[in-house]
Amino acid sequence: MAEWNAYYQNEDEYVDRDEFEVDYKCAGRDSLVFLVDASKEMFIRGEDGEPSPFDMTMQCVHSVYTSKIISSDKDLVALVFYGTEQSKNPRNTFEHVYVYHDLDSPGARRVKDVDGLRGENGAQVADETMGSGKTNLVEALWCCSNLYSDVKLRLSYKRLMIFTCRDTPHRGDCERDRQARTKAGDLKETVVPLWHLPGGFDVSLFFCDVVSPPEDESELGLQMEPCGKLEDLRKRVRAKEMKKRSMARLNLCLGEGMNVAVGVYITVRQTKKPNAVKLYRDNNEPVHTKTRLYHTQTGSLLLPSDTKRAQVYAGRQIVMEKDEVDVIKKFSDPGLELIGFKPMERLKLHHHLRSALFIYPEEETVTGSACVFTALLRRCSERNVFALCKYTQIRNSSPRFLALVPQREELDEGQAQIEAPGFHGIFLPYADDIRNLDAPQLPTASDAQVDKMKEIVHKLSFKYRSDAFENPVLQQHYRYLEALALDPMAPEHIEEHIEDHTVPKVKMIDQCLGSLAQEFKDLVFTLASGKLGKEQYTEEAGGAEKKPKVEMSEDELRARVQKGTLQFGVKVTGTKKRELIDTLKAQLAK
Amino acid sequence: MARSAKTALVLCLDVGFSMSNSATGQEPPFQQAKKVIQKFVQRQVFAENKDELGLVLFGSDNTKNNLAKDDQYQNISVHRHLMIPNFELLEEIQNDVQPGSQQADWLDALVVCMDLLQNETLGKKYERLNIVMLTDLNTPSSPDQLDIIIGNLKRAGITLQFFLPFPVDGGGSNPPHGGKALSREQQQGLEMTKKVMMSLDEEDGLEEVYTFSDAIEKLSVFKRVEKRPMAWPCTLTIGSSLSIKIVGYKAVCEERPRKSWSVVDAQTHQKDDIKRDVVYCLNDDEETEVQKDDTIQGYRYGSDIVPFSKVDQDQMKYKTDGKSFAVLGFTKQSMINRHQFVGTQVLKVFAPKDDEHAGVALSGLIRALDDLKMVAVVRYVYARNGNPQVGAAFPCIKEKYECLVYVQLPFMEDLRQYSFPSLENNKKYTPSEDQLSAVDSLIDSMMLVEEDGEKKDLFKVNHIPNPQYQRLFQCLHHRAVNPSVPLPPMDPWLTTALQRPLAVATRCQAPLETLKKKFPLKEVVKKKELKTSKELFGNSTEEPDAKKAKVDEEEDFNLADITEGSITQVGSVDPARDFRTLIRQKSLPFGEVCQQLTGRIEQLLGNKNMNYYIKCIPCIQTFREQSVQVGNADHYNSYIQSLKTSIPVRGLQEFWDMLVQDALTLINKDEVEGSTFSSHDAKQFLTAGEKKEEVVAAVVDDTGDVDDLLDMM
Repeated sequence: MAEWNAYYQNEDEYVDRDEFEVDYKCAGRDSLVFLVDASKEMFIRGEDGEPSPFDMTMQCVHSVYTSKIISSDKDLVALVFYGTEQSKNPRNTFEHVYVYHDLDSPGARRVKDVDGLRGENGAQVADETMGSGKTNLVEALWCCSNLYSDVKLRLSYKRLMIFTCRDTPHRGDCERDRQARTKAGDLKETVVPLWHLPGGFDVSLFFCDVVSPPEDESELGLQMEPCGKLEDLRKRVRAKEMKKRSMARLNLCLGEGMNVAVGVYITVRQTKKPNAVKLYRDNNEPVHTKTRLYHTQTGSLLLPSDTKRAQVYAGRQIVMEKDEVDVIKKFSDPGLELIGFKPMERLKLHHHLRSALFIYPEEETVTGSACVFTALLRRCSERNVFALCKYTQIRNSSPRFLALVPQREELDEGQAQIEAPGFHGIFLPYADDIRNLDAPQLPTASDAQVDKMKEIVHKLSFKYRSDAFENPVLQQHYRYLEALALDPMAPEHIEEHIEDHTVPKVKMIDQCLGSLAQEFKDLVFTLASGKLGKEQYTEEAGGAEKKPKVEMSEDELRARVQKGTLQFGVKVTGTKKRELIDTLKAQLAK
Repeated sequence: MARSAKTALVLCLDVGFSMSNSATGQEPPFQQAKKVIQKFVQRQVFAENKDELGLVLFGSDNTKNNLAKDDQYQNISVHRHLMIPNFELLEEIQNDVQPGSQQADWLDALVVCMDLLQNETLGKKYERLNIVMLTDLNTPSSPDQLDIIIGNLKRAGITLQFFLPFPVDGGGSNPPHGGKALSREQQQGLEMTKKVMMSLDEEDGLEEVYTFSDAIEKLSVFKRVEKRPMAWPCTLTIGSSLSIKIVGYKAVCEERPRKSWSVVDAQTHQKDDIKRDVVYCLNDDEETEVQKDDTIQGYRYGSDIVPFSKVDQDQMKYKTDGKSFAVLGFTKQSMINRHQFVGTQVLKVFAPKDDEHAGVALSGLIRALDDLKMVAVVRYVYARNGNPQVGAAFPCIKEKYECLVYVQLPFMEDLRQYSFPSLENNKKYTPSEDQLSAVDSLIDSMMLVEEDGEKKDLFKVNHIPNPQYQRLFQCLHHRAVNPSVPLPPMDPWLTTALQRPLAVATRCQAPLETLKKKFPLKEVVKKKELKTSKELFGNSTEEPDAKKAKVDEEEDFNLADITEGSITQVGSVDPARDFRTLIRQKSLPFGEVCQQLTGRIEQLLGNKNMNYYIKCIPCIQTFREQSVQVGNADHYNSYIQSLKTSIPVRGLQEFWDMLVQDALTLINKDEVEGSTFSSHDAKQFLTAGEKKEEVVAAVVDDTGDVDDLLDMM
């Protein structure tokens, strides 16, 4: 029966399937091993109260664990320490290597484990469980490579990151260095970049030979600059930790016979709270659903070919085959088709429909693609134009138009990439997507009013960063889950509050503004002619919405309940309106 | 707001004989006019509004109208009274509206239409009364009544539109399109038309006179049904002391079709004949069904699944206090990346219509932001317990209004900071000056906005109707009136609208050729994958690739371990894998595991379907392979023998052929000592089967066989 299920899951007329979903299932799983130095040096705090390298690393690992759980919970992660006193590894064949977590998908327990290694307490825990001892990177690397080979899942992407603050792990022991290099060399085919921590770190002493060369010649050279700040470290780990996957490989057709191969990527996409899974009450094991179609009269199972599709207009049912419904959507084969170019100012800010795509050449598919692409990118950017393209994502998907906005590469001081080179594909609206609005005719502000507002704006200006806001809904959801996973008995004890950056810091804003807010209000009221209630500007922001008062005599209320016309104008808090009305009805029925 | 009132409209079509005349190669005016009304009615039908429509034909062979008396108002026929248009009307137009052999005065027809409108709208409320006149004006008409008619039109508030085969200003001495000069009647008619239209609307009257070809083009576009924008009243707050009343509206948002497809029975076309049934199944081999009531909810937390009670759910839900548009701070516009916009809509934020103070205050903010090139970063909550967003409110100052434009920005969790290999710093990809100038001339030739003068945009996406809906309605219409005919090809205008404008396409020819020469592109040919069953399932029996087979085995073995916990029996999902695992685990006797596997194989074969056969092949392959490894050929050989004997009876010849193809024969002495077959016997075994190929039609009902065969073993 499994086949039935599989078939119907593919039918998209019931659920508006997200056509932008990348199919990760067949791609195998990503894996990541954190190889962390646990020597004494790692536990030394920075001079100005900076956390120790070990602490910083644990914070990174923690954030990778939690972000994996949110974004790709099938990926495998391992945490291995080297330079420890104690040894713990699958066959206990390696000394001074402590496999804290072997390669597996992270769960609540692991998050908590890593959490336990953070801060002062964490250092103590680490000291008690593992201690610091001799360093043998050869053994450590060997052990890690065993971790990979012990996993028999299909791994699509294997990465190993080394965190250390010592540029000479073997204190000049040339033999060990040589062995480690050899071992790292052996690992190269599976293990990609290595990482290192701050502080007068001389990569050339040892690590430059251990770090794997870029995946292929074209890959960006590794940033050799060690990073000292937690934020930077976190960012770099984040950037390296995820495998980039194209959601489609397409041709960008510049004209007949001129097809440039490109990959389409998603670099921003709303992460939603995952759907709940259904579990069997008796054992808490997940269950799956099967959907079948039955004939109402005969009760027989219907094959897909036993059904057709219909819509009703003006009282007439119009029937089509399922295939026809699909084929109607087809306009052209998947691909990007260049229509022409437009000056950048023709791209309207408010023409936004969905998250943008990112387009990067696929030299492996069509040789020469990267060169045309680069030339196009450069000239579009220099001439400040965008390319207008018709975009057909998959077979039987109707076309959309994209503005391909050139994005040239940008690097930070540490040579780390801030902006990748390529085109951003911005979805443009059709006529149907734009709504006609009647803008109200209202007086405009005077210069004095505008100037006062400028002062306010200045006072409250800050440097926006797109990664500055965590989604409080997601964070809270996962925080609760984590707590529940660890202690299912006591959910009510969860008191951890997430820091919600989306809530304005009202006190701080008020302080910053001082008298400016009042001054602006005075300007608005002295200069404006109307005599509309002033109170609307002086009311507390907290109670932004006025609560309408509804007063009704009990008799009236009773009468209304009987007629079933009871409507609540009051703003109700806490319970659902329906429930309140029900309660009220019950009360009055007495 | 009140619902928009409806319109009453009468289409007045000239079917007189002159309408059928045309210059050679030209479509007769009648056909063109017919297309116009078809397209128009079609739009009305799909718009599903309450507008009512009537159809009056003049020049028809018959006469059917209220005013007809003696020789007055002859050859004018009210084909349809005012009513909401439907497919029947479309069919009538398609089949019954044919050119007549008479002529009638178009002014008389106009009077009939007015009469119809006035009688049939009596006592009902309409927003607009309209008459659409489609004629070639080729009948002599008496102008003496003209002033009275105009007076009546004005009094009744009836508006008029004309559709003619020729342009209104192209008449006179210049021959109109088609090369035929206007007849005297036509010239006179045109003058009268002008007079009527000008007296109804002095300034723009002539704008309501169209040509047929123009109209066909314009009406080809299905007009979307206007949605009344929903107001979202809220308060913009800056700290606790500064709040401005605002109203937000969706300004840009992907428009979805209003109707979706429903599933109907293929024979009866009845929706009610089909019932959907969702069952919950355990993830065991039997896929045991469980009751919905016996399921609870849970959420995944990485590798953990956390069961969830209602209480938990309420408790963990993020709570918001209600709608909010609260400023978190202000930042430079340049800090906001256009390509990082998220969400699926853009809001425009105004002050409430009658609130001047709010208007001034908001204007102050908008202008301040605009001057400083800054934006407000705000927390947006649509409604109580809605999910909060962080977004940017951009200042937008237009000639006629000012507003804030709100777009959602990403959360940290939404970003994927991929890094990509450098392009410009890679010597291999660095274009030469020569190449760059080739790109330059391509860009020059393909600019869609002409630089000189008024900067005309040749390709405005926001003027193109969504092609998906245009095509959908075209097909729906076609199918509605021609139920048994295949769907029509795409409308040519639609195809053209989505292509590179002709001017640009011509202009870029030469630069494109140069570009092609300067940038050689070569497709990398990928190895074609052979898809025999051997390839698909990895291990070949003829030349066992020991290494590969081992890798596969190990991979599968561990996959089973990790994902499913320990395997205790041969399941239906991947029997071959389970079988291998069980053999390896040695937790069950070999014979028993074999029996489980054959049970599964029989179950699969019972389905008599290629997909199941394909699934069986690796089972048998594994069965054979493991038997050889274990050194016990008895179970395998006896199963294969019994299988072979049952082939003709069960109609499994197709499957047997697959076994033969993959050389899945008996295990011989050389492979396993205990076997009673020589390698010759084994080979014979398969060929003998081929000879005996008595193709007995699949006669047996399969459900019983499984047990029979198992009993036999």
